[in-house]
Amino acid sequence: MQYFQILGVLFSLMLIISVFFIVKARRMREKYSLVWFLIGFFTLAISAFHGLIDKLSSIFGVDYAPSAFFAVLLVCAYLLLLHMSVSLSGLRMQNKSLTQELGITKLRLEELEKKLDKERLSSNS
Amino acid sequence: MDKERTLAVIPAYNEQQSIMKVIRDIRQYLPECDVLVVNDCSRDRTSEMARNTDGDVLVVDLCCNLGIGGAVQTGFKYAHANDYDYVIQIDGDGQHPPGEARKLYDAIRKTGSDMVIGSRFLDVSSFRTTRSRRLGIKVFYYLFRLLIRTPVTDGTSGFRIYNRKAIDLLSRLYPEDYPEPDAIILLNKYGLSICEVGVEMKEREHGHSSITPIKSPYYMAKVIISIFFSYIRAR
Repeated sequence: MQYFQILGVLFSLMLIISVFFIVKARRMREKYSLVWFLIGFFTLAISAFHGLIDKLSSIFGVDYAPSAFFAVLLVCAYLLLLHMSVSLSGLRMQNKSLTQELGITKLRLEELEKKLDKERLSSNS
Repeated sequence: MDKERTLAVIPAYNEQQSIMKVIRDIRQYLPECDVLVVNDCSRDRTSEMARNTDGDVLVVDLCCNLGIGGAVQTGFKYAHANDYDYVIQIDGDGQHPPGEARKLYDAIRKTGSDMVIGSRFLDVSSFRTTRSRRLGIKVFYYLFRLLIRTPVTDGTSGFRIYNRKAIDLLSRLYPEDYPEPDAIILLNKYGLSICEVGVEMKEREHGHSSITPIKSPYYMAKVIISIFFSYIRAR
């Protein structure tokens, strides 16, 4: 095994283990961990088995093997980013609705309190 | 028949210096209106000033800054939930003189349109705004003619009145960020009618426009792209 392979394996293992513990601590939803595990195991396989990347690139007709590796990772990264934009927009929408509802509800509560105070005053006098 | 109920919605962000005058003017010129201030998480005393104005003022304090779209939509939601017949949207910065709102009111009842826009360009004597904004408004003018075949001379104006049908729709769907031009397309898409009436507008007395020269290309790009999507989106 060459030096850069060891580095690759170490990096992949670190990624997999980190994602595992993050999900375990409920700081990431299982749904999102799927893509990260896929990326982790993919880089692990590529680093551990030297011939794999050459085979892969020859299937796709790529002459320079590492660029096939980068292409796959880049596609993964794009997909993740796209997914994040969608999630973020959804969150923003939910957040907006909640803020609006909360504001309106607070106003209703104030109006009710005012009414109640008035009724109390009139029943006391 | 019950009396028609109208809600004046004032979106306000850091407008402590002008909000009281706007509310007082509404009281004077539109005494039959209920007044709802949507305080979009201002960092100054906007909410306090609005509450301290004489008479009943409804104030919604939003806990996060939502931007003009989210703030105005809060007004629609409130109006929808409380069964109002009309919503008049008036900026909190004093640009829209409430005395002119009467014209909007008369127009929506006379024409039966679902939304009436107060335009500063149908009226010669009005304040004319900056050159870059005029250019932007011109672009929208041609865009509207192209897409919905309706001439709208002041698509960015936020001085508007809406009827029940429009309130119902916009309480569910209202564009964010820079909603005014986009809302025109949206209403048209849903088969609601729009007309314009000339109004006087004033230069803002305090504060600054949210659209700085640096932001205006972004503004145009964002609005054009959201207009495009509003146009092609299935109902």
